[in-house]
Amino acid sequence: MSVTDEIREVAKKLLREKQVELVIGYEQGTLPMRTRPVFVRSEEEADRLIWTGWCENDLVGYLAGRDGRTAIVAKACSVRAIVNCIRESRLKREDVVIIGVRCKGILDRGRVQDLLKGRTLTDAAIEGDELVLSGSDFEERVPCKTVLREECLYCTDPEPAGADYVVGPEAETKAVEDEYADIREMEQKPLDERWEWFSREMDKCIRCYACRNACPVCYCKECFADSTSPEWLSKGDALEDKQFFHIVRAFHTAGRCVDCGTCERVCPMGVKLRVLTRKIQKDVKELFGADAGTDLESALPLATFRPDDPDDFTE
Amino acid sequence: MGLKRIDKSRLGSFLSDLMKERDVIAPVRRGDVVRFRPIESADEAVFDEWNTRVPLKEVFFPQTECLYTYGSDPGRIDIKPPPPPRERVVVGVRPCDARSIAILDHVFASGDRQDNYYVDKRNRTTLVGMACLHPLDTCFCGAVGGSPFGEEGLDALLIDTGASYVAGALTEKGEKLLGGWEDATAEDESAVAQAREAAEKAVEGRAVPDGVKAVLDECFEDPVWERIHERCLGCGTCSYLCPTCHCFDMTDEPTAAGGRRMRVWDTCMFPLFTRHASGANPRPSGKERMRQRVMHKFRYFLDNYDVTACVGCGRCVIHCPVNLDIREVLQQIEKLRK
Amino acid sequence: MTEHTSTDWEPKIVAFLCNWCSYAGADLAGVSRLQYPPNVRVVRVPCSGRVNPLFILSALRNGADGVLVSGCHPGDCHYTSGNYTARRKFALLKRYLEFVGIEPGRVKFSWISASEGPQFAELIRAITDEVRSLGPATRLVKRKEVS
Repeated sequence: MSVTDEIREVAKKLLREKQVELVIGYEQGTLPMRTRPVFVRSEEEADRLIWTGWCENDLVGYLAGRDGRTAIVAKACSVRAIVNCIRESRLKREDVVIIGVRCKGILDRGRVQDLLKGRTLTDAAIEGDELVLSGSDFEERVPCKTVLREECLYCTDPEPAGADYVVGPEAETKAVEDEYADIREMEQKPLDERWEWFSREMDKCIRCYACRNACPVCYCKECFADSTSPEWLSKGDALEDKQFFHIVRAFHTAGRCVDCGTCERVCPMGVKLRVLTRKIQKDVKELFGADAGTDLESALPLATFRPDDPDDFTE
Repeated sequence: MGLKRIDKSRLGSFLSDLMKERDVIAPVRRGDVVRFRPIESADEAVFDEWNTRVPLKEVFFPQTECLYTYGSDPGRIDIKPPPPPRERVVVGVRPCDARSIAILDHVFASGDRQDNYYVDKRNRTTLVGMACLHPLDTCFCGAVGGSPFGEEGLDALLIDTGASYVAGALTEKGEKLLGGWEDATAEDESAVAQAREAAEKAVEGRAVPDGVKAVLDECFEDPVWERIHERCLGCGTCSYLCPTCHCFDMTDEPTAAGGRRMRVWDTCMFPLFTRHASGANPRPSGKERMRQRVMHKFRYFLDNYDVTACVGCGRCVIHCPVNLDIREVLQQIEKLRK
Repeated sequence: MTEHTSTDWEPKIVAFLCNWCSYAGADLAGVSRLQYPPNVRVVRVPCSGRVNPLFILSALRNGADGVLVSGCHPGDCHYTSGNYTARRKFALLKRYLEFVGIEPGRVKFSWISASEGPQFAELIRAITDEVRSLGPATRLVKRKEVS
């Protein structure tokens, strides 16, 4: 049975037995390489659910604020996001039925676009471990692992631990030498070069807030960016405002971000947001030994302390 | 004036000459993203991208614009408008984007509603188009009154015929611009005709079903709206990348002794857009906001100005993070027809 | 507005001082007539834990050339653990701001107790010198002049 079939079967069972009123998953999109969130409320609709390497964005943001129980199709990173939200009392464990998927990695549409070199794609089917790119006058096969999203390259354990149901074949855990190698490299660059890089990236932003709205851990009733009293920053696309917004937004995910990568994926302008979030994530791991979403018991790293926490940064 | 031509290799020097007397704005690539930017040298311009990421509207209606600055000394207030814009030529404009400016004119430059910030730029701009030889699968300009070789809104239209650009002047400004070009040959004319036919065929029969307006007139309360918006994130991607979306906010930025009044892009997709000071919101959920956006573009704008506020560029289709496809939405609406 | 030449620029330093320790320490420096540069503008907060990173960034945005946050020594917080959670926040923030390219000399953290008047004065002297050598802040600053 394919992963898609497994998911549909679980979803239908949950709906049929009235265990949940809603299953949130992915369905086929209207363009090659696109899937999209789908909200399934009947066994018939459950046949829309699919699972492919194009199941991009995290769905956890759609969970909160609902009555009754909701099922959600979740890869390991999404399960971590759910765990984080439960720790923060944003979600209740008993309100969520997690259909965990052993994900082999999500493909990067941008990397595929680069491969296409301007050719128009009519289909992008994933067959096993290969991606088959078709156009009106070409067909090309590439190994999926050469076009994976960067965050998936660093995923060491795709097992959706803690899920209520787990579908998909056993996935390999892999060792990653240093998932923060690029951050360390950036840290070594001169300060001014880093500022240059940061400013160039921020210049691309158009303040659409797709990153914030799609992020599973961004859910403040009033975002600091929308506050008028105090008005921390202005609207519009002045560079200082974009710098301010992203510095703060990323910092607000400190100790909470699970690097699902959704922020970068939804950005229409290709801003490399994960460099900011991962820098903070790396420091949280190194300074406080905390890895977001892996532990339902321990306190959140920024809501707790140890008397011997690092103090070398003070005068 | 008949069709004119220029060897591709000479377009660069044509642009360089233009730059001596006016600003030249062209599609410029930075990383993966192409946007309209003033160029310092002709080789910055790129014409091989299907369209810019952010549409032409930002050249007339920038995302952030200072309307005036104000300073005060005891007993007086000084209000200083910004300096007038300079003359400029925008090259590489796709016909859909050019049409969008004609549509925005209804809002910003019509009758006794003359937004001087927009109008001043409008009056000092010459628009030179680049015809679309290979419309994307997501392009549906033909369904909303446009065409890949459309001329509306342009002063001149360039067609890439391989080794040369063939151009047609469409206005007096365009004629002046192309004054120094050679006449096009008969081969040029037939190449253009062929390319036009192929491109127009490519966008035939796409997207917007007839009669969707009539359904929109009646379906405000229909439960279909409950489901359409469900995956929408409420971000600004569609509106900001849309050539005809034009909502804005005004905000004051105080400075040491005075301040600036700014106009900034806004979008009906943000909850804050209609939130009252009391906290009440007449469009309390994504459902009302999505419905409003579709209604505005495909019904109210038609009622007010007799034209759809959509040029079929497909940017929203390509970039919506959750693949909320306006073509699909319109088809769903049309199916409601009893 | 009058023009400032580079020779008469003086650093503006905003210092968030916790009421019970650092503010008292600054006060002690004052009553002891210890001299320290007048460039610092003090904002009294009940606890260093009250300091939202947004305050620090806001100060930079509004043109502060340097920002100091100072609280009770870890273990001595008037509210028991405010400075402990602050310490985690600030440890991260300091590294993060330097990472994006804000000069580390512009954002400083310290623990100064109520009895540490001389230490406070010395700290302000050191910070002011360092910020003066960095020059006026330009990063994140939202343009203040009118035209």
